[in-house]
Amino acid sequence: MDEPIQLDALGAGGPYRSRSRLPIRELGGLLIAELSLVPRLFVQRTMAALRRARTMPADERAAALTRAGRLFETGVVGDLGAEEYRHIVSRVSGMPITVVRSAASGIAHRAGEAYRTTRYARPEGAVDDWRDPLTRTGQAVWTRRGDVFAVHAAGNHPGVHTLWLEALAMGYRVAVRPSRREPFTPHRLITALRESGFGEDQVVLLPTDYSVADDVIKDADLAMVYGGEEVVNKYGDDVRVLPQGPGRSKILLTEDDWERHLGTIVESVSAFGGTACVNTTAVFVAGDPAPVAAAVAERLAAIPSLPPEDDAAVLPVQPVADARAVEKYLLDHVDGATPLLGGGGIVHDLGDGSGVLRPAVFLVDRPDAPQTGIELSFPCVWFAPWSPDDGVGPLRNTLVLTAMTRDDDLVDRLVDDPSIRNVYLGDAPTFWMPQWVPHDAYLGEFLMRTKGVIRA
Amino acid sequence: MSPRTDPILDCPIDQVPDGREFVEAAMRWHFSPETGSPFWLERAKTLGFDPRADVRSFEDLRRFPNVANELREVRVEDLIPRGYGPDAAVVGVYESGGTTGPPKRVVVLRDWLDRLLLRLEQDLEARGYPESGNWLSLGPTGPHIYGELVRRQAERRGGIRLAVDMDPRWVKRSIAEGRAEEAERYAEHLIDQSAHLLRTQDVRVMVTTPPLLTRLARRDALVSLVNEKVSVISWGGAHMDPDTHYLLRTEVFPGVKLYGMYGSTMILGGLPERVVPPEQDVIVFDSFSPYIAFEVVDPRTGESVRIGDRGQVVMHHVSKSFLLPNNLERDLATRVAAPPGQTGDSVADVGPLPTFEDEPVIEGVY
Repeated sequence: MDEPIQLDALGAGGPYRSRSRLPIRELGGLLIAELSLVPRLFVQRTMAALRRARTMPADERAAALTRAGRLFETGVVGDLGAEEYRHIVSRVSGMPITVVRSAASGIAHRAGEAYRTTRYARPEGAVDDWRDPLTRTGQAVWTRRGDVFAVHAAGNHPGVHTLWLEALAMGYRVAVRPSRREPFTPHRLITALRESGFGEDQVVLLPTDYSVADDVIKDADLAMVYGGEEVVNKYGDDVRVLPQGPGRSKILLTEDDWERHLGTIVESVSAFGGTACVNTTAVFVAGDPAPVAAAVAERLAAIPSLPPEDDAAVLPVQPVADARAVEKYLLDHVDGATPLLGGGGIVHDLGDGSGVLRPAVFLVDRPDAPQTGIELSFPCVWFAPWSPDDGVGPLRNTLVLTAMTRDDDLVDRLVDDPSIRNVYLGDAPTFWMPQWVPHDAYLGEFLMRTKGVIRA
Repeated sequence: MSPRTDPILDCPIDQVPDGREFVEAAMRWHFSPETGSPFWLERAKTLGFDPRADVRSFEDLRRFPNVANELREVRVEDLIPRGYGPDAAVVGVYESGGTTGPPKRVVVLRDWLDRLLLRLEQDLEARGYPESGNWLSLGPTGPHIYGELVRRQAERRGGIRLAVDMDPRWVKRSIAEGRAEEAERYAEHLIDQSAHLLRTQDVRVMVTTPPLLTRLARRDALVSLVNEKVSVISWGGAHMDPDTHYLLRTEVFPGVKLYGMYGSTMILGGLPERVVPPEQDVIVFDSFSPYIAFEVVDPRTGESVRIGDRGQVVMHHVSKSFLLPNNLERDLATRVAAPPGQTGDSVADVGPLPTFEDEPVIEGVY
C-alpha cells in the first residue's frame, strides 16, 4: 500500500480531514492509515449540531439500520471492500480473521435487529407514542432521557460497536469517539449508516486527542464509556455516564463430572482470542482445581501460533514490544501462583515485528486470591479452589458468571447479587450473548424512561 | 574604550545592528561593574567563563546556563543594569504564569518597551488593524505582561483598552488539584464578563487566548456579536492548533482577521505571526533580531533540529535593559527557516505533541 488510508473524522457537516493525524500501523509497524484528530472546537460545534438536529421517524431509523448493516457486512464503503476491511482490522488489531468475520456479520445482524432489541427493555406498561389510544385514559409513554448520546468506544473487539446502534434505533443522535487500536470498524459503520439514510447530523465519528476526549461526554446528554477500573472510578458517580468496565467473567464448577464441561471452559477462555469482556478470566472449582486446570492448559497449549490473518488463527497478535509489555505485566503479578501454562513467558515472536500472545493458566491456592481479578486481553485464566463456605464473595464483580452447579440456594444468591450482572447456569459459555439477553442490563434501561401522559 | 552606553545598544528601531557587534556590546554592558546589573555581576563569578571575552556571537550565547529559575528569588532592583543610573525608568515588574513553581519576575524598562511597541505597531499597520476603536483584553492583567502590552498597544492606536482579568495561576491550581469543575466555572465567569462588554461597548480588537476563544465560540450570541463588531482577533498566551485556526477562520469568525502572538514573560514580550496567506493555517513566528531570538533544539541533546523537524523552543533576550539567554521553554515547535537578517530560527505550529491516551494501559480488555 503506497498511500495510507485516510480515516477522516465524520462531522455533522461531512467528513473532515484534519491537519493533526494519528498514524495507525499494522502489527509489523507499517503505516496503514491516518486517523484525523479533531480539536475541541470541532467537537463542541459537532455536538451542538447533533443537539439541533431533528430525530428521524422510528420506521426510517429501523430501515436505515438494516440497510447499513448489509452494506457494512458486504458492500464497498469508502473505497474499502468487505474482505479488505476485515483483513485490515485483523492486521491492525491482531484479532484472528475468523473472529473479525463473525464480528462483522454480528454487527450487520444486530443493526437489522436494533429496533427489535430496544423492545426488550420497554416496560410492559409503556407505549411508544402519546397518540396511542391508551393515553386517553392515562398511560406511561416510553421517552428518551435526552437527545445526544456519546460513546467512548473500545478497540478490543468490533462487537463493541453493536450496542450503540440501539441508541440510534431509540432516536438518539450518537457521537462515537473511536479507539486508536481499531478505528476502522466505527468509521466503516458510521459511513454505512450515513449512506443508508442517517443524516450527517444524526451519527458522527469524533477521533480526538486524549485531552479533548471528555468534551465529547460533557456536551452529550448521556454517555457510555468503555475502559478498565479507572473508568469506573472516574465516572462511577456520574449519573449521566454508563461505564462499561472490566468484565472479569468467571466460571463456577461444583459438579464432579467436569470433563463434559471442558470444551465450554476452554471456549469461554479462548473465544475471540480472549480479548472480550465476556471471556472467562477465573474458574472456581469445588474441590481440587488442579486436574481441571491441567486439562484446560493441555487443550490451550495445543492451539497453534499463527499470524492473525490465517484462517486457522485463534490467538491474538500484538506488536512484539506491546506483547512483551503484557507478558511482563503478567509475570510481575504471578505472585506465588502456580503456572501450568505460560509461566516462562507467553509471547511467540512471529519474526515480522509481531508476536502471538499464547494462553496462560495459573493455579492459586485460595478463592480470594487477588490474581483472580486480573483480566488481560488474551486467553489468561486463574483457577482457584472454592467451597460452599467461601460463599458468593469471590464470585462478585462479574459481568458473566457461568455456574455449573445444582445448588439452587447458591443460584438464588448469585442471581440476587447486584455485582454479578449475568448468571448462566449449566453448560453455557460466558460469551453466550443473543440480543434478547441483556449484556450489562439493556441499554434501553439507561437511555429511556417512562413518562405519564393522559388525554383528558 | 569606556563601556558606557555603546550606541549600538540604543540603535534606531528600523535598523538591525550587526549581530556580532551587538552581542559584544551587550556583554560589555551587562558584565562591566559600572553598567551591569547586580544580579548578573554576581552570577558572572560562577559562570566559569568571562562573557566579555568569551561570548562574541549569537552562537556563543549557548554557553550561558539557563538562569530563569533564579528569577523567582532575586530582588527586582538587582535586575536593573547599573548603567541606567539611580533613576532607571521602570515601566513595571512582570511575572510568569507560575506553571512550574513560584513565579519568575522580570523588570521592564522604558527604552525596551518603546522599542517593542514601535515594532509591534509597525506590524499592526502592515496587517490592517483598525485605525481606531476600542480593544478588549480577555486574558491576564495584574502582574502579567500580557495585559500591559495590550493596554499600551490600544493606547498607541488611539483606542481604549477594556479588560476582563484572568488569573492563570488560579486556573492552573484548580486543575492541578483535580478541581476541573472549578476551573470550568471560572472560565465561564470570564466569558460572562466579556459578554457584557461585547454587548455594551464598541470593541474593534479582541485579544485573548485560544482556550477562551474556543469557549466563547460555544455561545452563538457572542459569536454573532464578535462577527458584528470586531475586526481583528489577536490570540496568544497558548497554543492554537491548525485545525482550530481553520475552523475559526472559515466557520466561526469568517469576517474577522485572526492574528497570533507568540512570546513569553522571559523575553519581555511577544511577536506577531508572519504574514502568510490565511489559508496556510500553520502559523509561523519570526523573532525580533537581535533582541529576541528563538532556537528549536532536540530536548535530549540540546542540539538544533533540522529545518522542518520538531523540537523544544529555546528563547534568548538580549537588550540593553535585560539579558536572559538560553531559556528552555516548555513549548514544542517546528523549526522554520528564518527570514534574511534574522538571528536564530523561526518557529511554527507551537504546541504540545498530540497524545491519544494518557498513558499505556495494560490491564483490562479495552
